[in-house]
Amino acid sequence: MKNKLRGIFHWIDERVNLRDLIEFMGKKYVPIHEHSVWYYFGGVSLFLFIIQVVTGILLLLYYKGSEELAFESINFIMSKVQFGWLIRSIHSWAANLFILAAIIHMFSVYFTRAYRKPREITWLTGMAMLFLGMGFGFSGYLLPWNELAFFATKVGTDIAGVVPLIGKPIMILMRGGDDVTGATLSRMFGFHVAIFPGLFAVFLGVHLLLVQRQGMSEPLGYEDSPETQRTMPFFPNFLLRDLLLWLLVLNVIAVLAVLFPWELGQKADLFAPAPSGIKPEWYFLFMFQSLKYIPAQVLFVDGEVLGILLFGLAGLLWTLVPFWDRKSAAGKKSRWTTYAGLFVVLYIILFTILGWLA
Amino acid sequence: MSERFGLRVMFIVFLLVSPGKASVFAQDQCLACHELIEDNHAALFKRDIHHTKGLSCADCHGGDASKEDMETAMDPKAGFIGIPQGDRISETCAKCHSNAATMVKQYDSILPLDQMEHLQTSVHWDLSTSGKEHIVQCTSCHGAHGIVPKANRNSPVHPLNIPATCAKCHSNATFMRDYNPSLPVDQLEKYKTSVHGKRNEGGDPKAAECASCHGSHEILAANDVRSRVYPTNLPLTCSHCHSDAAYMRGYGIASDQYEQFAKSVHGKALLEKKDLGAPACNDCHGNHGAVPPGVESVSKVCGTCHALNAELFATSPHKKAFDSRKLPECETCHGNHEIVAATDELLGVKGRAVCAWCHKEDSNIKGYYTARTMRALTDSLIAAEDSAIMLVAEAEQKGMEIGEAKFKLREIRQARLETRTKVHSFNLKQFQEVADGGFTDASAVTKQATEAIDQYYFRRWGLLVASLIITTLAVSLFVYIRRIENEQAVNR
Amino acid sequence: MENAEQPLSAQSKRDFLKFILGGSLLAWIASVVYPLVAYLKPPKQAEVEVTSVKVGKLQDIEKDSGQIVKFGSKPVILVRAADGKLAAFGATCTHLDCTVQFRKDLGVIWCACHNGKYDLTGRNIAGPPPRPLDPLRVIVRGEEVFISKLT
Repeated sequence: MKNKLRGIFHWIDERVNLRDLIEFMGKKYVPIHEHSVWYYFGGVSLFLFIIQVVTGILLLLYYKGSEELAFESINFIMSKVQFGWLIRSIHSWAANLFILAAIIHMFSVYFTRAYRKPREITWLTGMAMLFLGMGFGFSGYLLPWNELAFFATKVGTDIAGVVPLIGKPIMILMRGGDDVTGATLSRMFGFHVAIFPGLFAVFLGVHLLLVQRQGMSEPLGYEDSPETQRTMPFFPNFLLRDLLLWLLVLNVIAVLAVLFPWELGQKADLFAPAPSGIKPEWYFLFMFQSLKYIPAQVLFVDGEVLGILLFGLAGLLWTLVPFWDRKSAAGKKSRWTTYAGLFVVLYIILFTILGWLA
Repeated sequence: MSERFGLRVMFIVFLLVSPGKASVFAQDQCLACHELIEDNHAALFKRDIHHTKGLSCADCHGGDASKEDMETAMDPKAGFIGIPQGDRISETCAKCHSNAATMVKQYDSILPLDQMEHLQTSVHWDLSTSGKEHIVQCTSCHGAHGIVPKANRNSPVHPLNIPATCAKCHSNATFMRDYNPSLPVDQLEKYKTSVHGKRNEGGDPKAAECASCHGSHEILAANDVRSRVYPTNLPLTCSHCHSDAAYMRGYGIASDQYEQFAKSVHGKALLEKKDLGAPACNDCHGNHGAVPPGVESVSKVCGTCHALNAELFATSPHKKAFDSRKLPECETCHGNHEIVAATDELLGVKGRAVCAWCHKEDSNIKGYYTARTMRALTDSLIAAEDSAIMLVAEAEQKGMEIGEAKFKLREIRQARLETRTKVHSFNLKQFQEVADGGFTDASAVTKQATEAIDQYYFRRWGLLVASLIITTLAVSLFVYIRRIENEQAVNR
Repeated sequence: MENAEQPLSAQSKRDFLKFILGGSLLAWIASVVYPLVAYLKPPKQAEVEVTSVKVGKLQDIEKDSGQIVKFGSKPVILVRAADGKLAAFGATCTHLDCTVQFRKDLGVIWCACHNGKYDLTGRNIAGPPPRPLDPLRVIVRGEEVFISKLT
């Protein structure tokens, strides 16, 4: 048995040189320090993304992306297909957990300054994936074609349409027409299962390649204290720990999916009045809530436009942090970057809670 | 002109031949003169209550009744208006009849003073086709000259005369077409066939005539919610006489119909829920042709609404059996005025079940057996439905998707309701067919709901097992990592 | 070398650990694979049982013609012979499940896939079909023509 396995290994090794890879992995070390725990969130995000891919493909086998059939097909998946309820529930729960894990991962990278040279590209691809993840969430939200999703999409695309000049074309592009209709559903379906996954795969490939190539980032000041430097081999130690954590995450998802199955709600009716309590997904909530607080007119500028522009600008600045945070790049502590990050975290938490309670 | 001249000649002749009548002239010259010329109006007016009370022609026609000379007496300058036209007629009457000072103080009258007011709000006060006047004036019903109190047998509004008075217009198809083409004109014909009509014709002033139900001056269209014959008001209108035990004495019928009706399923629907689809008195008894339905026609009358039941009954063995025994059809089991909502208790052979009245275990075994079996089927169908509802509710409460079974619950209910109708075929086979459909649906729902509930527990047990497996795997993996790292530490 | 110096109990403990690890790994794989396989199995769709369908008015059906009628989810062929007689069969060829058609020029029911032929009583008369077409009942009720299952 063992010989046979070895034979197969040799066969592959001769052709693709597996030994190099193993050697590379064996030489790869993960630094151990007080912030090591944050390293795991990248892996968890990856794992959740894998779950999304698997369950997403499975859902695709039964889902019908049309105005007439979308709701019914998901109802069918949940009531008729064996374990369909489980797959759909996992897909919905893991989607949210993925965004959560990705956000935590992003902030941990921000606060440990892991984006600094030479990892700017890793950061940029990561941010791209975070935005794509939100796009996944936004497009996937509409796919069950239920009432809440329908109106949330209406509101969401409406907000995008407020942006001067480019807003209107973007809105029409997202809706596939002037209004949210069956055409929007087809479009979101396309985004969700083809365009976004394609883009995501490219960014993810680059991201992972760079992580492996450059190794884990070490926090500032880590190199200055060589006597405390400790490391752990990436393989098998870190990888096994990763797997252990993934198992636990999987169990959490299973518990959530079984005990709190994702609701399907009412089928969307294009001509029904909007129900109360339309809320976007929780990760858009802080923006949604902020827009509510901005007065209708601020210095001859429409409040909503101003809000969207401010958020756009903030997002851009945040994404470009490796380029303006010169101090970190130079290996120095930069207090103001930390303060800015803390402000953003507190702001998001506060407004998410306000939005939740509203 | 020549007529005027003729009158004048006659008048002069009259003066010449009867000088002794001078004293009459001093009182009412109009009447005196018109009597002399044998004017029928004058003759009638002599019998008129208004004449008795001392009114003169001039009180209505204007002019000066004290003047002998026709020219001066009937001079428009003296207020002569001739024959009042259009609304002037009623205004002339109302001048006194709506005036308390005149009526009460001067004539000591107890007549109501609001007759004109009522007339003006009634359906009769619509504008006539000419558009210049209203349809009905006081004189239309009461006449002009020779008016007598309505208690007088000669009054056109005496109870025995009212039908004919109203029919003057209401049975005139040509006339009625101008105002309300959809209104029937056969009320009088129908009325004559009714118990009321026959008694009225026979000279019984107590029997209801038109005004008894419709009112007099204040008559409103039947579809006016304020009308006394509007469906929700009608039972009370009928009860006005029929619930008055003293009034009904001597007619040999009960006087508790209203009470019973008010308690009945029909009465509750009509009077409490204001459901206009529910029958009022007239829907079973007829209105103008009111009679109690005959024994054989009961099922037809009930069947106008309860069509399926009546149809089934008509083809059932009970039809012949009831008719030959002179048993009223629906009424025998369901009662008449006090019909309560039919419950399943009526069916069967025990307790309040009505079948056992005739179908005894020892004498009428076949019917007894049928009734017992139907009731047993009904009971088990109800039980099956209840348990299906409970199971669906439980599955739903557990958060399971059970829309299909829930939808199917309606079919069980439908079958159950249909069996209640099918009872009236009194045919076990027909009944059983429908009931079986219900049982099939019930077992299908029960199966789906039970599966959903099982699925609920399956999910939780599955989760438990999966969690145990994952926990074991995680713990052993954890121990394994520790071991590797210990070895690495030793090796280093 | 070191293993030999370990006490025997430690050795068996390791084996036990590997046993648990391997066993639970297998169990875990099973607990993931089972739902996935079950999910892939298409659920039974309750097919609406059709016992009869209305075709249309008798006068609208030409003599010496044939038409395909939808009977539930299956096709049925209704043929009317030149003498006006009606007959209906399952339109699924008994050879390889193609849908048959009426050939006016040949006066037969014909399958385009492999040139199978049936006469107007459904009998397989030429070509590869191994047995006659499944017969159905044609009912003419007044003006209307119905096709129903043989009961």
